Amino acid sequence: MPLDYPIHEKTLANGLRVVVSPDASVPTVTVNIWVNVGSRHELAGRTGFAHLFEHLMFQGSRHIASGEHFTRLMAEGGRLNATTWFDRTNYFETVPKGAYELALWMEADRHGHLLDAVTQENLDNQRDVVKEEKRQRYDNVPYGTALIDVYAAVFPSGHPYHHPTIGSMEDLDAASLEDVHAFFRRYYGPNNSVLTLVGDLTADEGFAAAERYFGHLPASAEPARPPVAPLEPVSEPVRVDRPGNVPNDRMHIAFRLPVDNTDEFFAAGLAIDALGGLSTSRLVQRLVRREQVANAVQAHAMGFVDGVSLGFFVIDVADGQDPEAVEAAVVEELERFAVEGPTEVEMESAMAQSERSWLSALAGQEERADLISQHVLLHGDGQFVNTFLDRIAEVGVEDVRAAAARWLRPDGRVVVRHLAVADEEEVA
Amino acid sequence: MSSVTEGADLPATDHPPTDLPPTEVSVAELPADDTPPRPEVRPPEVWRFATPARHTLSNGIELLSYDIPGQYVISVRTVLPFPLSVEPREVEGVASIMSRLLDEGTAEHSPEEFAELLERKGIALGASVTDGGLGVDLDVPKRRLGEALDLLRQALAEPVFPGPEVDRHRKTRLAQIEQERALAPQRAAQAFIATHFDETDRASRPTAGTTASITALTRQDIVDFHAERVGPTGMTAVIAGDLSGLDVADLAESTLGTWVSATHVPAAETIEPRRATDAARVVFVDRPGSVQSELLVGWTGPDRHAPGGWAAYPVLGFMVGGSPNARIDALLREEKGYTYGIRSVFRPRRVGGLFLTSGSVRADATVESVQLLLDLLASGRDGFRAEEVQAGVDFISKTAPGRFATADAVADEAVTMALDGLTTDFTTKTLEAMRELDGQQLTAAYRDWVQGEWTVVIVGDASTYAEGVRELGIGDVTVVPA
Repeated sequence: MPLDYPIHEKTLANGLRVVVSPDASVPTVTVNIWVNVGSRHELAGRTGFAHLFEHLMFQGSRHIASGEHFTRLMAEGGRLNATTWFDRTNYFETVPKGAYELALWMEADRHGHLLDAVTQENLDNQRDVVKEEKRQRYDNVPYGTALIDVYAAVFPSGHPYHHPTIGSMEDLDAASLEDVHAFFRRYYGPNNSVLTLVGDLTADEGFAAAERYFGHLPASAEPARPPVAPLEPVSEPVRVDRPGNVPNDRMHIAFRLPVDNTDEFFAAGLAIDALGGLSTSRLVQRLVRREQVANAVQAHAMGFVDGVSLGFFVIDVADGQDPEAVEAAVVEELERFAVEGPTEVEMESAMAQSERSWLSALAGQEERADLISQHVLLHGDGQFVNTFLDRIAEVGVEDVRAAAARWLRPDGRVVVRHLAVADEEEVA
Repeated sequence: MSSVTEGADLPATDHPPTDLPPTEVSVAELPADDTPPRPEVRPPEVWRFATPARHTLSNGIELLSYDIPGQYVISVRTVLPFPLSVEPREVEGVASIMSRLLDEGTAEHSPEEFAELLERKGIALGASVTDGGLGVDLDVPKRRLGEALDLLRQALAEPVFPGPEVDRHRKTRLAQIEQERALAPQRAAQAFIATHFDETDRASRPTAGTTASITALTRQDIVDFHAERVGPTGMTAVIAGDLSGLDVADLAESTLGTWVSATHVPAAETIEPRRATDAARVVFVDRPGSVQSELLVGWTGPDRHAPGGWAAYPVLGFMVGGSPNARIDALLREEKGYTYGIRSVFRPRRVGGLFLTSGSVRADATVESVQLLLDLLASGRDGFRAEEVQAGVDFISKTAPGRFATADAVADEAVTMALDGLTTDFTTKTLEAMRELDGQQLTAAYRDWVQGEWTVVIVGDASTYAEGVRELGIGDVTVVPA
């Protein structure tokens, strides 16, 4: 089914890329801004800074008091938040139509004039909040640090994806007001951002509002650096063991993948689905259903832009089963897949599930706007939401086999194992 | 095909949030710069939840269909109300395990064949059991709706519960129990129900069963439960999405409508769970070395049929603990920096409900946080400021069009109402009533349920902090192992 969400694009004189996608089905407008800065841009000793900075964007700017973004927009019926990830930072709100210009005015104020309002007190407070976020999401959760180990083992030291977006406690402690000023000046500015408006407005209305509220801001961000050099697959298997107090053994088996938005990445993603991402995929059928040596198998492909992406399987080893044997079975399936490639049924299933999940993602204005911003900012492709399904439909059986043979080779695996330690051993 | 996790600024909330202090800067205070004037906001028009088309299928299933143009993934939800007390005591969790096995083999298809049929058609099918009954859901691209409905019929009407699949799902549940024990929020929830509800009441024990009850469960228990408790009588089916060009009633009649059950016994009405006589106390679940303490504070709350109406409670949950600037996080997050976020919610059950406040705090702030949290919860009895009330009402009522914009959100709301014996007209009427609320009514509603008695659960390092909590004098403190 060809998709035809309307996409209108324009670049303001100050470099702000604006996309308007009218959709009058709901009387709301989603304002979504992507800034081309994420944890991949952080320097050694300042990990976690892009995310801490994002928190400060809610603590007031030239004309806006601390906390007012939440108080004012929520009181107008807005739902808003922001997130930080390896490649980028996004800020977004969905508001009743009559409030979207206020939302734009408020966004422009913090994206243009944050530094007028940043204080040591706000920095210290949000540093504490972010530390609690880290403890809640990573440190105080069984297996919570598994992906941090995966990133560190899959990507070499100093690589943009070697450290997690949440950063380290020591680096959060080291962040200073001077860092905040330097970071804002370098990365924040209309020429390093994309603004997407989706909802009950016309393209002309959207472009005029973007010009009215953002047009006066100078193109203040420094030019973005080019992507770093591509990485080849890991050359020999790596294993990281984390024995500890966990309910059952869990393995993350991870691989480097090609950069996002390439045919080879899509092929690798379909291979990962066929191997572990469907309820009919090979690892689920064998490990969970037939041999019952695993309680669950999950599979993920995370697309990145800096020369490499990440794919991994998560396997919960069943009680009393040997993780070595389970890993050996995974290796066997990877080797077999690299030779045989996917079956027609696996291809059909992976495509059908990709179609449904893509259509579901586009069903709401919020996520649609976010996907538009993503592909304009990182790939210069405003039509991606409409063309993605056609692009993956072009991926053939042999493409998927070849991608698996290159990127999911057992020799290129990184295995992070959380192994349950019996209480008696801990005491002894 | 990909899944991404990321560092968000705010924790997820059950109900989205609200705000507190009015902090507008007037135009007169603007420094001389080229910033355009702050734009005025035009108020939104009054919004109503969509009205469904209604059909009663020949076997008694009530069908509600919502045509939402542009929603190309159709969401189908079925619900069958029954109280969990219909489960035999010794095999509690049988309803949940039964629900997880519905698509693991049917009269026509082996488990692997059935999974393949779902995958090849791009169908996502899921089933679950709550205190209100059974829910079976699916999402499917529009052109596959008819085939999907027939697979749904097979799952509901003709599951065969193969022995190896039963064994696997029992083992999976046993492993899940251990996972839940290791996760602080889940461990807190389990300690909460065990403390708050009378031990003879089903509500005091986990919905999906305990290690003992799942170990005792047999295939025959599951077969019997399905035969007796799952049938078309009393079921509501919701189909939401872009239905143009589809005869939904006909599709549903030729699939779900053909299901008959000679053995199904419609369930008795749910009764309100009994609170334990010693529910007002503190349980400290000991996790030595924990870097945070998980707090869960709650007491009996209203259900949607509450005297005086339901409209006040989403607003109250919000003003107290719904955003970074609601009363709790304004102090514990934005001033003290003790937490990433604490949320309050009035959670209605089929009969009766709970008022719950939960979140995690830095370990060394445990004792102070518990005291501050109880003080903040008590403060609502003294009233809410006009601007808090306005912001809370506006947030919940004005976000409704966006919150109910997609097929899955509409369908979810419709079955939530159906499980409660209501329709989405209740959603519309609640929003209307909400707009008329004033501070006095909200304070009175809060006082109806908040009287200073709490079941308090803390999951954290008891050896370091339990004594300090005891010294607060907020109730008996019992330390239990994790």
